[in-house]
Amino acid sequence: MRKKFIFLMLMVLGIGLLISAPALAKTKVAFALLWTIDDMGWTTAHYRGIEYLKEQLGDQIEVSYTEKVLAANAEQVLRGYAKAGYNIIFATTFEHMDPTMIVSRDFPNVVFEHCSGYKKNDKNMGNYFMRMYQAEYLAGYMAGLMGYKNVGTVATQPIPEPIRGINAFTIGLKKGLSEAGIDHDPQKVNTIVWLKSWRDATNETLLAETLAGRGHDLIRQMADTPESAAAACRKGVPSIGYGIDVGTQAQCALISTEWNWGVYYVDAVKRSMAGAWQPAEVWWGFEKQGVKLGPFHASVTDEVRQKVLAEKAKLEMGVDNIFAGPINNQLGKEVIVAGQKASDQDLLTMRWLVEGVAGKIPD
Amino acid sequence: MESAVIFVAKITITSSMAVLYATIGEIFTERSGVLNLGVEGMMLVGALTAFAATDCFQSLWVGVLFAMLISGIFALIHGFFAITFRVNQVVSGLALTLFGIGLSDFLGRPFIGKVSLKFEPFGLFPLDKIPVVGQILFTHSALVYPAYLLVPLAYVFLYKTRYGLQLRAVGENPSAADTVGIPVFPMRYLYTFIGGALAGLGGAYLSLAYTPGWKEQMTGGQGWIAIALVIFSMWDPLKALGGALLFGFINAFQFYCQAAGLTLIPSYVLRMLPYLFTIVVLIVITRWEAAKKRVGAPAALGIPFEREQ
Repeated sequence: MRKKFIFLMLMVLGIGLLISAPALAKTKVAFALLWTIDDMGWTTAHYRGIEYLKEQLGDQIEVSYTEKVLAANAEQVLRGYAKAGYNIIFATTFEHMDPTMIVSRDFPNVVFEHCSGYKKNDKNMGNYFMRMYQAEYLAGYMAGLMGYKNVGTVATQPIPEPIRGINAFTIGLKKGLSEAGIDHDPQKVNTIVWLKSWRDATNETLLAETLAGRGHDLIRQMADTPESAAAACRKGVPSIGYGIDVGTQAQCALISTEWNWGVYYVDAVKRSMAGAWQPAEVWWGFEKQGVKLGPFHASVTDEVRQKVLAEKAKLEMGVDNIFAGPINNQLGKEVIVAGQKASDQDLLTMRWLVEGVAGKIPD
Repeated sequence: MESAVIFVAKITITSSMAVLYATIGEIFTERSGVLNLGVEGMMLVGALTAFAATDCFQSLWVGVLFAMLISGIFALIHGFFAITFRVNQVVSGLALTLFGIGLSDFLGRPFIGKVSLKFEPFGLFPLDKIPVVGQILFTHSALVYPAYLLVPLAYVFLYKTRYGLQLRAVGENPSAADTVGIPVFPMRYLYTFIGGALAGLGGAYLSLAYTPGWKEQMTGGQGWIAIALVIFSMWDPLKALGGALLFGFINAFQFYCQAAGLTLIPSYVLRMLPYLFTIVVLIVITRWEAAKKRVGAPAALGIPFEREQ
């Protein structure tokens, strides 16, 4: 009897050890990436985040990633990671949203984080995004201070994220122009042309050349490759980069507005390791370093730099008054009235352009 | 107004060159009776080879030469299956495109984001001094000017020389051509190679002149446009020039209108037009045998040749 009891206890202990063994092992983190890690745009920005994560938590985690995860193979990739025992899985593009929803239901013990979408559940799926518009506002402000009053923007898809960015850029631009005392046409400081794609190297070039040829004095890149910024340089027109620092490909870039995913990856993985992860809708700006500004071009004067950095410091303190009224739409109608501020919900569903933007949202 | 016209015309030319080279190449290939749907893949291989060779040898023209050579050889893979093994040419061509995309993605990894030499635009003295026309035609990069010679030469070759006649005979009636002693198999291989080489030149134009640098799948479907243009142009190099410029113009024009704040409701419609016309040509040549001859589709296009014993 006694022998049997000891044997039973040993069995229990053994099984217990077996079960707890994975918990003692490293936390496994996986990323589903839209394109290749060196695409010089969206995925490169995420990859830099992954590198930062490894740097910070390298000895406690095991990281894997899959490139070119498109809508068609997203579910399969996510499911594969979940089955392979990954603890936290990041799906990094909008199209991964529904596949992530489906897979998260089947693996309640795995944490799922989806980037740039709007769906979550109450158990194991959250979403995250960064307030790129804050960086766009600063870039616009800088351009305004430098006297660029006829900007041409190579816009991507006519949906709220780029629209918000265009508006923030234009608000910053007008503020900069006014502060610098530069005479400008308040109806038309930023002309936008839609690429209707997130990346399309040939048409980005074509569009940037068209805008430069029409006499725009600065080209704003918004697509996920540095092509439009580089094309502007070839035409002798300065540009502003997007996504990552484009200084190598476009030497004329005055600055780049950059994603900084790494800080969030470290934060989420740490919470997951500590068992403190909760599904949430995360939208970080400068206050959490979710976005950043690239290096200033040598031609940006110290005076301008100081002013831009002062505005940035405000955002870092969590004071974001970019979309504080009065703000007019293109028809001159006050959409955000004085004393009020656009809510996050307003920003996330933004479908109108501010005064100063030339061009419109296609139907 | 005048400057706007010059501007749009210039952009039309620079943005349609890659498609034009690939189209002329595919016309040669199809005229010999070989249907090669691998243009997109060949262009990508050409674009990557051009960039890599330029980076390696620090010479643009060496890059162009390598691009044409490697893409030509790449096209011969299709030739081997289509001509010698007589497999279904549609399948083989599609496979070549998929292979080209995968191969260039894979081998191109180290080159993404690299900056290397590029063709700069320059005025072709003294032609660039001609008012308007000179500005439109003769202020481009060095990879544009060969096209001005290639198109008329291709036309003359095809319709006015003995070799052109032989080429057309091989595509129209290979058995008859064979009977009079024209070497059908070598001819088909040769023109498949030329088609690949010109597609490679188109790719080189993209990676060395138009959007310098290597980007995965940077052709963005231009190879497919080239295939549509071959039909659109009814297998005629001169009409191919018109077609390529029309495609380029429609794209350039609709962006220009957007930038200028002009509202053009039919911009979607405009973009569809060339494709619609292509479909119409296809319908016509498949519906009526007589029309097929008139349009100029090679009678033996896509049909493997087998020597009668």
